[in-house]
Amino acid sequence: MITFQNVSKYYDNQTVLKNITFTVQKGEITFITGPSGAGKSTLLKLMYLAESPDEGDIVIGDFHLASLKESQIPYLRRSVGVVFQDFKLINSITVFDNVALTLRIRGVKEREIRDIVSNALKKVHIRHLSDSYPTSLSGGEQQRVVIARAIAAEPLVILADEPTGNLDPNTSIDIIRVFRDLNAQGATIVIATHNRELFKGSGNRVLKLDGGNIAGEEAG
Amino acid sequence: MTFSYSFKSAFKSLCREKWINLLSILTVASSLLIITLTAFFLYNVEIIANSLPERFSIVSYLKDGLSSEDTQVIIDTIKRRADIAGLKYISKEDALKELQHTLKDTGYILEGLTENPLSSSIEIKLKKDFVTPSSAKHVAGEIKKIEGIDEVYYGEKIADAIHLLRRSMQNMSVIIFLTISSGVVFVTYSTVKILFYRRKQEIEIIKLLGATKGFLRMPFLIEGGSIGFFGGLIGIIGALLFYFAVTYRLSMVIPMLKTLLFPFEILVVLPLIGIIFGIIGSLIAIGRLKL
Ligand SMILES: Nc1ncnc2c1ncn2[C@@H]1O[C@H](COP(=O)(O)OP(=O)(O)OP(=O)(O)O)[C@@H](O)[C@H]1O
Ligand SMILES: [Mg+2]
Repeated sequence: MITFQNVSKYYDNQTVLKNITFTVQKGEITFITGPSGAGKSTLLKLMYLAESPDEGDIVIGDFHLASLKESQIPYLRRSVGVVFQDFKLINSITVFDNVALTLRIRGVKEREIRDIVSNALKKVHIRHLSDSYPTSLSGGEQQRVVIARAIAAEPLVILADEPTGNLDPNTSIDIIRVFRDLNAQGATIVIATHNRELFKGSGNRVLKLDGGNIAGEEAG
Repeated sequence: MTFSYSFKSAFKSLCREKWINLLSILTVASSLLIITLTAFFLYNVEIIANSLPERFSIVSYLKDGLSSEDTQVIIDTIKRRADIAGLKYISKEDALKELQHTLKDTGYILEGLTENPLSSSIEIKLKKDFVTPSSAKHVAGEIKKIEGIDEVYYGEKIADAIHLLRRSMQNMSVIIFLTISSGVVFVTYSTVKILFYRRKQEIEIIKLLGATKGFLRMPFLIEGGSIGFFGGLIGIIGALLFYFAVTYRLSMVIPMLKTLLFPFEILVVLPLIGIIFGIIGSLIAIGRLKL
């Protein structure tokens, strides 16, 4: 489902990712861990073309990113749901509209949107915040809005960048359970985190990033 | 494509940025009002100019002592011309009668005359299309060449003046129209650009969520179109106020203004013109943006 082949990424001469090669199978949950600045977020950004690689090939589902036409980028992005590390919520619209936006972009009919959104909000236990504005929410609540938005359209691939960074341990476990449920329904999931609790004892694959390289691979 | 979303989003933005939008709507409204007033003046000048050819005539005086056969030949020759709408023969006796009638009480001036000093004449009306300085001159010249014609007079100065007025009014209207419409396009262009930069962060997010260019652009096109539309509506109100001021207030003082005509048709198209200019402005703005 996700293939990286000798992918490198530089930010003004600084090597962030060097010669990364790995494959994530369809229906797999993969964790990416590593110290701050290791390049976890950058790795995920390459997958939805928020950044483009300087070398190497990336394939996401049917999308060959190296030869992807600009007009196809929106369709790549619609096939992945992203939990952004910096949230990227729109503060001028309600929680409901933030989540609904991803569906409107996909052309989902308005009368279906209501149910889909409240379902997604229910999964992360914030349905009561539907009419609030993001700025009036706590960090953990905002993070769950982002998760609800990422899963609402049931994308084939979910990319979660530090999805529990603002959550207490109990809620974190709850959120991971949401991802596991979606995975059971067939979604391929990549989670970047330095919270080892999330994968400890799960048996899932864990890629360790360090200094721009994959320093190792383990089973959590 | 979810049009309802685009519309909602556009109108939300219209309300959220109400001062910028109000200002540009008023600017568009004043501009469209200027276009309307220009059209109003042009329209009236055209009407006046069109009515003047009916009064325009060429007068040709016949030589003295022509027989009635000769006179008839001259009349027939002139009548055959394609540029003539009609003519009227005035014999020297008729001319004298008319003069006496005009002089009325001062008719004694003519009493000492033993013979009629006036000439017979033919008053020629040109077809509308030929009432231009050049063709009037041309016709006058040709008539003068006819055997038996003494002198030819026509309102050279008047024809020139009307023609000049009409021409300059038309040219001025074109210049005003072009300037003002570029102004309207520029206003919506800048407004949309400002609105875009204010929402830049939001747009970046929407892009990352997988929006197509069309989805991103639609609200801005609707917004630009709406600015034009509302500008047009307010322009109509302004034009109506102008109309009532002229017909009811000013015409009491200057009755001549009552004869001015107001082209109401233009009011209906004002919002339409606004929408078109607004959309053109936003299209240019959006085309220049990295979406
Ligand atoms: N837009 C950018 N321009 C320049 N350098 C960047 C940019 N984005 C990231 N970097 C650099 O790339 C490196 C990797 O950043 P990245 O955000 O991928 O790390 P991370 O593993 O996600 O860290 P964290 O755990 O703190 O989120 C960092 O050294 C960072 O300074
Ligand atoms: Mg990161």
